[in-house]
Amino acid sequence: MAVNIVKILPLLLTVFAYISTAASHADQGAPVQSFFERHRGSGSAHTNNWAVLVCSSRYWFNYRHMANALGMYRTVKRLGIPDSNIILMLADDAACNPRNKFPGCVYANSGRHLDLYGDNIEVDYRGYEVTVENFLRVLTGRMDESVPRSKRLLTDDRSNIFVYMTGHGGNEFLKFQDNEEISAFDIADAFEQMWQKKRYNEIFFMIDTCQANTMFSKFYSPNILATGSSEMSENSYSHENDFDIGVAVIDKFTHYVLQFMEGINKTSQASMQDLFDTFDPKKLDSHPGVRSDLFRRPLDKTLVTDFFGGVAQVEIIPPVLDEPVTLAGEQALRTDASSATGDQDVFIDPTTLAVTCDAPNASTTTASGLRQHVGPGIDFTILIAAAAQSEVSPQTSLTSTLRAWTSSVLILALVSWTAVTRNRHPSGQ
Amino acid sequence: METLSKAALAFESPLTRRSIIASYFLVILLALPLWWNTTSIERQALPISRVSAQTGRELLFPVHVAVNTSASDINAGVLAQEVQRYVNRNEDFTRDGLELRVSSDAATAKDYQVNVRFGTHDPVVVGREVTVEVPPEHASVAAMRVADTLATLLAPYSSLKSLATASHAERVVSYSPRYRLAFTLLNEDAAAGNAALSWDVRGALSAQLSPFLERLSVLHNFTIESQVQYHGPLAFEPRGLQVAEKTQYGLTPEDLTVFVNSAEWMLSSSVSNDPVLHFIAFIPSSKHTPLRILDNNGIPTASSAFMLPQWGGIVIYNAETIGVARTLATRPLDNIFATFRQQLSALLGVPELPAHVQARSPGVSDWQLDALIRRRAAENTAGAQETLQSILRLVAQIGDMPVGEDVRGDVEDALAALDKTYSSAPSSAVEALTFASKAQVVASRAFFNPGMLALLYFPAEHKWAVYAPLFASVSAPLLASVIREFLAWKKERAAKKARSEQRQKVD
Repeated sequence: MAVNIVKILPLLLTVFAYISTAASHADQGAPVQSFFERHRGSGSAHTNNWAVLVCSSRYWFNYRHMANALGMYRTVKRLGIPDSNIILMLADDAACNPRNKFPGCVYANSGRHLDLYGDNIEVDYRGYEVTVENFLRVLTGRMDESVPRSKRLLTDDRSNIFVYMTGHGGNEFLKFQDNEEISAFDIADAFEQMWQKKRYNEIFFMIDTCQANTMFSKFYSPNILATGSSEMSENSYSHENDFDIGVAVIDKFTHYVLQFMEGINKTSQASMQDLFDTFDPKKLDSHPGVRSDLFRRPLDKTLVTDFFGGVAQVEIIPPVLDEPVTLAGEQALRTDASSATGDQDVFIDPTTLAVTCDAPNASTTTASGLRQHVGPGIDFTILIAAAAQSEVSPQTSLTSTLRAWTSSVLILALVSWTAVTRNRHPSGQ
Repeated sequence: METLSKAALAFESPLTRRSIIASYFLVILLALPLWWNTTSIERQALPISRVSAQTGRELLFPVHVAVNTSASDINAGVLAQEVQRYVNRNEDFTRDGLELRVSSDAATAKDYQVNVRFGTHDPVVVGREVTVEVPPEHASVAAMRVADTLATLLAPYSSLKSLATASHAERVVSYSPRYRLAFTLLNEDAAAGNAALSWDVRGALSAQLSPFLERLSVLHNFTIESQVQYHGPLAFEPRGLQVAEKTQYGLTPEDLTVFVNSAEWMLSSSVSNDPVLHFIAFIPSSKHTPLRILDNNGIPTASSAFMLPQWGGIVIYNAETIGVARTLATRPLDNIFATFRQQLSALLGVPELPAHVQARSPGVSDWQLDALIRRRAAENTAGAQETLQSILRLVAQIGDMPVGEDVRGDVEDALAALDKTYSSAPSSAVEALTFASKAQVVASRAFFNPGMLALLYFPAEHKWAVYAPLFASVSAPLLASVIREFLAWKKERAAKKARSEQRQKVD
């Protein structure tokens, strides 16, 4: 016992010395206390926020997808993510389209109240640069040396990343530019590579496309929260038309998410659960999904601003003391623990989560593989996409084996038919 | 009729026909290796066993501490033994990767020295020396005092964890051999009357920061840029306060988290890919002067600076008189830059001296610098190891991921650098850091190799759909011709047999 006391004594002395200095500045001591209390047990605090916003479809009639992405861009920027931390990928430039009656503007509602394009916008990847490869390179960081900083996702293990995707999709894929597709497996693998290289703290993945929920069904890396606009074999619909613009201006899911976000400011305490509670299948005409089994924090303790906001914590620094030149008017203070904070971290409790995942089971078949956004107006994309996608309809393993065998048998039959018929001629002569 | 057609096609012998058909198959056979070569993914073998041998290997720094008791009548040898005993019991040293040997031998240049003498003053640090004073009546606790002081000086990250450095991990930027330091003089609204139009940034930098940066140059290479902005509005309205019949403006802790108006302040510098640390001297406009930082209870604090972890620091400068200053220089600017230095030091992870230890000279002491170097070397070593292991895991996990010659080269270089780190750690921490940071950089380069992008995932149906239209139609006539030839050959043989039998009968 005596030995123990002797052992602790130096520590006690240090602590006492510390407390006596700290106590003389009571106004500094209290915030220090609260700072440490707030941080106890929270292992996943982030120090920076990033956003990757992807609109993967081209052409004028996909105006609404550009508006979706730009609406998100405006929101994350308003809530404090700097342009340097936003990777915006727009597959087409609707603002400068010759068919745009309002050049340089993109609107997301039928009254054209708010110009999303604005005067301060930074599109990092545009037009034909928006490819599956570039998207995966952005996520995994596997870039050429010459790629500039603004096109890179320079995240670390303290970064929370918001990934938003919109476009035309189907079961486990999303089309890019009408000529290639990214599959749910590719995104899941990319996230895993990011996790392995400690490129994120947490990811919030949001996707607005048809059968969107299938896109996050393959994720397997930790700390990912995902939401999508519609279940497997369900369409995501556009919200409204503007008759002057002539096309649908925004999709329903994104519209209602943005509507919720308008009520959020930089210091808002609204939680992710609040956001998910606003999803109404009646208004959306589809069943939005949330996947939180990979996410460690309870959703009602996860702030919306953890993903949509800027920085979450600061440390107040006491004025410098050991300077020979100090302003007479300034009162000099010196404590060793220089931490007071306006920290907004939530307490993180690694318990299981209340909301269950409604990711669809991949082994069920859908009658038709093509699901497209159907706007209230005439939408020719259905026809175009139907032709493009008919070969990628989902199959169960049974039907695919059956089909493989059938085609092999067919080929064999063809071969023997050619052989036999040509053979008959000489014998007939 | 038969003789006629045979005559017309005299060149058509079964042999010619068969060799023509065979030539098709020969082409296919010869093309197979080419096809295999061009469609298979290059996957170089990685040195798996060497990488997995790295797990659990920890960087150890043997450190010699010399105890000098010439100024007192304490027996140096006995004291050294006692200190060694305390040190062995203290886990903080091993946690920081230190192998401490305490003796009464004379210290060489890279050893640490503890001078023990009688007195009541706090420990004083000079270079790699520390002078610990023990009250003569408490000479028995000298060993404990020395061991305690050594722990706080040599292993600051472990021993002070519970107190001041709890937020260390969140605040400190991850290691990079190069940093950009961006200094901004930001006027909230120069047109509104309270502003500084320029600043003597060179003078302040050389007076306040250069010695510090010089000291840390073994760790990092710094690039400095500066700018002056005249209009940087806040995104919120500061709270008005009445203090001593004067109106002041306050920033609540919540305001501070959203203080940086990234949408309207042009801070980003995208010249290079080095990490940027921002330092902002903010001059509030005349309608927000003076601007104070409030504590949680809404009472103004004496502090006028705050720090955003891993991002940078901000100093709010309230001039004594409102007005436009042409140039911000001398004392106010020196104060601002002294705070910047303090913020930079915290962001880079320089350990603070313990509260009760005094430094003879200002600036970063050798003890602090050595602790930081050891810390960064250990971090980089662990980071490089982890990166190498994650490369192996991913390559095993994702079958479509190519592994090129350069990736293998980088992995091997990183392993070599790691080996050098371990072998150089006993002799020089700086050298160990150099190799560790090289290992980390090279391992990351291997991970981020642009060629490592895995092929896109395609379901089996896709592959069938792509290959069937081409190969099915090509294979049909080829296979058919083989079958026809086979049947013809069989028929010919049967005919030959029949003929010879006939001949036998005739005979």
